[in-house]
Amino acid sequence: MQGLFIKTVSLAAVVCMLAGYNAVLKNREKEDEFAKLCAQVAALEKFIQSSQETQETESAGVYTDGEWDGEAQGFGGSITVKVKVEKGRLTEIELLSAKKEDAAYLSMAKEIIPAMLQKQSADVDTITGATFSSAGIKNAVAQALEKAET
Amino acid sequence: MEKSKRKKHQKYQWLRAALQLFSFLFFSSAFTASFAGITYIAAQLGAGEKIAWTAFLKTLVGLCGFTIVFGRFFCGFSCAFGSLGDGIHTFYCWICKKCGKEPLKLSEKISEKLSAVKYLVLVLIVILCYLGVYPPIKGSSPWEVFSMLHAGNFRLSGHLPGMLLLFLIFLGMGVQERFFCRFLCPMGAIFSLLPVLPAFSLRRSRGDCLKGCSRCTRKCPSDIALPFDGFYETTEDCFQCQKCIGACPKQNIHCGLKEIQGNEIVFTLLRTGLLIALYLWIGL
Repeated sequence: MQGLFIKTVSLAAVVCMLAGYNAVLKNREKEDEFAKLCAQVAALEKFIQSSQETQETESAGVYTDGEWDGEAQGFGGSITVKVKVEKGRLTEIELLSAKKEDAAYLSMAKEIIPAMLQKQSADVDTITGATFSSAGIKNAVAQALEKAET
Repeated sequence: MEKSKRKKHQKYQWLRAALQLFSFLFFSSAFTASFAGITYIAAQLGAGEKIAWTAFLKTLVGLCGFTIVFGRFFCGFSCAFGSLGDGIHTFYCWICKKCGKEPLKLSEKISEKLSAVKYLVLVLIVILCYLGVYPPIKGSSPWEVFSMLHAGNFRLSGHLPGMLLLFLIFLGMGVQERFFCRFLCPMGAIFSLLPVLPAFSLRRSRGDCLKGCSRCTRKCPSDIALPFDGFYETTEDCFQCQKCIGACPKQNIHCGLKEIQGNEIVFTLLRTGLLIALYLWIGL
């Protein structure tokens, strides 16, 4: 009875600690986001002011418009992607096939896609825990973007 | 009578082998995915990042929940690495039989001490993940090499330490049944630390055991002397292989709920069905 009791209490303690840790971080994240938004608003105000003074042309992206394919090795086989470039900007990354990847790992690896869209480049960190699959997606996008650059 | 009982018992072992093969073929990543949950938590804690509800974490929580209710049924019936070990051990015993040699076996004293090693493995990996130095040395993980081979990926350069470890583990798996699960498996260490409810874990009736009989303990891959009725503790290294149930000449072994023996085909299929439902929900 004692052993079972101790184990139950320890498990509950671990779960509570992790939940608490997450809650603290969530709170902090909210504060950070608020601060970031404030900074963004300030920057935007400044930008509007300056753009009213000098009418700048919109900076175009570096890529050629169109749809581009790329392929690279993932964990179990090849991964193919299609990227869409509009007005020189990378707007969409679509996973065409990743048949040999493990579903659980692939769903983790997909988190690399928004990161690449945000950075407008394939040069981002791979996802920890799903290194092979995310590196496969990353390299496939890099190959596609290479085509878009020429 | 004795013969028909043995036949019946063999039927259970065949069922187990079939279920193990099924999981090995279709859900081989369950054990790596659930342990990836542990390394993920440790890495996030180390980096001061939030713990998100990922597929790894779902697998970890799902399997831990299952183990709390049913004991380490996953280890005995569904873990691809455990099944591989059973296969290698059976093969080794078969070879020994053909050659007319007695298979080697570790003494109980040594294996009892070795079974603490898995906790060290767990602590070591968790610390490495926390410090953020685990991913670069992943090439030395035998699990990683195994999953790559299983996926048909033979680009193993940079995985030499992992391959070497895997080979050594294969040797161990041959000599000692459930060598890896009992001595080295960090996921097994987690399962051992979970509070397992007594309802579905195995117990034996005291009283009419034959004098000096230790057949259940000798048949057990973990050399367990099962707790008697009414005990709440569960032996940590019981993989629910069900060998003891068939081995007992008095049929004294049953679940904590005495109405269930523990190796009924319906009950086994029910538990496996639950596991598969869990895998499908996670999307393994």
